[in-house]
Amino acid sequence: MGYEILDKKELAMNEVLYKVHAPHVARKVRPGQFVIIRAFPTGERIPLTPIKWDREEGWIELVTFVRGKTTMRMANELRPGDELLNVAGPLGNPAPMKKFGRILAIGLITGMVEVFPIAKAWQEFGNDVTTLHVTPEPMTILKEDFERSVSRHIVESYQLQPGWGMNEIAQELVRRAVAKVRELLEGEHWDLVFIVGPAGGEKAVFEVVKEYGIPMEADLHPIMVDGTGMCGSCRILYDGEVKFACIDGPGFDAYKVDWDQLIHRVGFYADMERRALEEYLKSLRGSE
Amino acid sequence: MARKKPKLIKERVPTIERPAEERVHDFKEVNLGYTFELAVKEAERCLQCPAEYAPCIKGCPVHIDIPGFISKLVEYRDNPDKAVKEALNVIWACNSLPATTGRVCPQEDQCEKNCVMGKVGDKVNIGKLERFVADYAREKGIDDELLFEIVPSIEKKGQSVAIIGAGPAGLTAAGELAKDGYDVTIYEALHEPGGVLMYGIPEFRLPKDIVEKEIDKLRKLGVKILTDHIVGKTVTIEELLQEYDAVFIGSGAGTPRLVRAPGVNLNGIYTANEFLTRVNLMKAYLFPQYDTPVKVGKKVVVIGAGNTAMDAARSARRFGAEVTIAYRRGEEDVSARVEEVAHAKEEGVKFVYFVNPAEFIGDENGNVKAVKFEKMRPLEERDARGKRKIEGTGEYVTLEADTVIIAIGKHPNRLIINTPGLEVDRRGKIVVDENLMTSIPGVFAGGDAIRGEATVILAMGDGRRAAKAIHEYLTKKREEKANA
Ligand SMILES: Cc1cc2nc3c(=O)[nH]c(=O)nc-3n(C[C@H](O)[C@H](O)[C@H](O)COP(=O)(O)OP(=O)(O)OC[C@H]3O[C@@H](n4cnc5c(N)ncnc54)[C@H](O)[C@@H]3O)c2cc1C
Ligand SMILES: Cc1cc2nc3c(=O)[nH]c(=O)nc-3n(C[C@H](O)[C@H](O)[C@H](O)COP(=O)(O)OP(=O)(O)OC[C@H]3O[C@@H](n4cnc5c(N)ncnc54)[C@H](O)[C@@H]3O)c2cc1C
Ligand code: FES
Repeated sequence: MGYEILDKKELAMNEVLYKVHAPHVARKVRPGQFVIIRAFPTGERIPLTPIKWDREEGWIELVTFVRGKTTMRMANELRPGDELLNVAGPLGNPAPMKKFGRILAIGLITGMVEVFPIAKAWQEFGNDVTTLHVTPEPMTILKEDFERSVSRHIVESYQLQPGWGMNEIAQELVRRAVAKVRELLEGEHWDLVFIVGPAGGEKAVFEVVKEYGIPMEADLHPIMVDGTGMCGSCRILYDGEVKFACIDGPGFDAYKVDWDQLIHRVGFYADMERRALEEYLKSLRGSE
Repeated sequence: MARKKPKLIKERVPTIERPAEERVHDFKEVNLGYTFELAVKEAERCLQCPAEYAPCIKGCPVHIDIPGFISKLVEYRDNPDKAVKEALNVIWACNSLPATTGRVCPQEDQCEKNCVMGKVGDKVNIGKLERFVADYAREKGIDDELLFEIVPSIEKKGQSVAIIGAGPAGLTAAGELAKDGYDVTIYEALHEPGGVLMYGIPEFRLPKDIVEKEIDKLRKLGVKILTDHIVGKTVTIEELLQEYDAVFIGSGAGTPRLVRAPGVNLNGIYTANEFLTRVNLMKAYLFPQYDTPVKVGKKVVVIGAGNTAMDAARSARRFGAEVTIAYRRGEEDVSARVEEVAHAKEEGVKFVYFVNPAEFIGDENGNVKAVKFEKMRPLEERDARGKRKIEGTGEYVTLEADTVIIAIGKHPNRLIINTPGLEVDRRGKIVVDENLMTSIPGVFAGGDAIRGEATVILAMGDGRRAAKAIHEYLTKKREEKANA
């Protein structure tokens, strides 16, 4: 029993949308929750976030940023009509639905897609939501959806320079995000800042928000295995206590997160992830 | 049973075991069990105590007629297939997972503990005989044959039951209820059914194809298994009660306990659950053919001394690491099965006693590099479980470690116990009555979810008892409906 891929679209370079038949998730999912999927018999379990769904028709849409073996293999090998082996969920807690007032919701790169359902729901709930997308290369992901769903959608994009490695890309991302956020915080009143992105970027933005003392929530992405509170892979230090992001989060008060530890933990398998990707690329060349 | 008593054979017939130096390089099974000939020889050692007295039966949590199944092996020794089928039939009356329990039950504390042969020599190797019967039956397809003889045609009751969790408790309840004619659907959070049997206990101790075979059997009985369904998230117990006539919770004790000491989130510190899940369920030992990574350093310290700790330690050895088990009590209080401790020692796992973790020390990159332990001292007094109490000495010792695995126990799963109206105790264990019914009418529970960390056989026994109670509950419901 698998979950049929009903549609697959490339949204931008390295960003792929999958529309998947998963009625058990579509029936229940709320903004802020995620699923864990498995795409291949030898594959890992990876968390992804439904960005849209239809409860009646029973589908959800997932967007992956192609960054490692699993997301690349999915992009290369999966076609509409194929199946995901597993889609477990919905997992985690929904984002709190409250009247906060003016909200700045920030998405770094693909983090933006995860912001979408939450920002939309907040706006519908009576908040005044501005979304900010910081990303290399102007991208069109969901731009129209955002423009239709929130008060204001800002895109801060920049060109990747030839020869940049991952580090340069990340540094530029942080530089841009920090500058733009500072500009927005300086000129306007905000009641809440919300962010989804790589831990390093989230932390850098938090450092700025902290200066202004504005409440801030962040969705955290530690490495997960089961997503049900059974393994502790996703644990973070929060207000001095150990929390499991999969069942206590993924949204947390940014002021209480031990950011440096999160950054260390997210990077723990970087060398092995690189190796998995390299071997996969090698196997592709071999089969040509 | 009347038969010629052969003379007492004091020594156990040994099982075939792969040498330690060979097996630490792979994840294949360590003990290869008996052949039919060896099994018959071991069976002949049994004194055949009468069932009403037999101390082994009393020691078995589910009261298998042990002399009964053993005698079949001897009685039909000229027809191995028949011998095994008869023996399996006896075992199945009380235990539906003999291939598993034969491998993982703590026999030395249960059936074998009381074996009368122990007074004159070695106790009968009941565990390995049970395992032999199950393995032989499986390999020859005798189990399927027997299954469909016992249940030639299932009379459908027109009522349905939802089972939460596909561990030994849930699988057993599902099997029994399906045989009774109920429509059974299992809701399992993970992508594979089996519970701890699948994600926790390693391949070298319990090959996964055995568990898969048990699950196939359920499917043949018409049990539906929905993986990827997390009760409490995908569907709630209230919703299940609207769709099904009864519910059984077998969600286990999956939440790992963590050491409360600074540095516990350093990289390289795993809970045993995470480590074993990566290794067993996700097959990280086959990385990069399998995608899930695991990092085992050169020096591994495992904290705890139960079965979980042994499994983690022995798995880590198979990655080539130097492994030390650090336990806060002494050797006599090690709670793992004797066989596991012996195997761990043979495989070169070291043991350090009377040390309690006080701090995890990291390097500048946030990776663990050592564990600081407080030395403990045993007291004369014993606690409720009969273990010697211990106290800190104020002296410390540091063990170098680039990987640490915490195996100090688990709590019941949080997603289930947050169900409104479901009564749980202080430790999160679901409270049940003598029929295993919870505080919610029509919702039953068993296994680690009600006991905290227990054993496979107790979980399985609960599954059976609950199935019986559910059958009675639903029969009453049917009758009420018919009378109304
Ligand atoms: C709650 C949550 C929601 C997420 N939603 C999305 C989403 O909607 N779209 C999206 O593209 N990504 C999302 N992610 C991140 C996503 O899981 C990773 O992109 C994916 O695991 C990468 O796999 P890979 O094999 O391609 O890359 P790898 O090379 O394996 O890993 C690249 C990086 O991805 C992260 N990662 C790897 N494995 C895991 C894992 N098991 N759990 C979490 N992070 C991991 C790590 O930071 C790692 O360094 C989410 C993560 C979490 C925790
Ligand atoms: C490493 C290890 C080694 C062990 N060794 C031994 C041994 O040698 N001998 C022995 O007798 N015992 C051993 N045990 C203990 C034994 O495995 C357990 O007592 C037994 O598995 C309990 O069975 P269970 O069915 O109650 O729960 P589990 O086996 O824990 O199964 C529970 C199932 O429920 C699922 N689940 C949980 N929450 C939900 C939810 N919300 N929705 C849907 N599904 C859910 C889980 O994913 C799991 O599949 C060991 C345990 C471990 C961890
Ligand atoms: S991912 Fe395993 S506990 Fe959160």
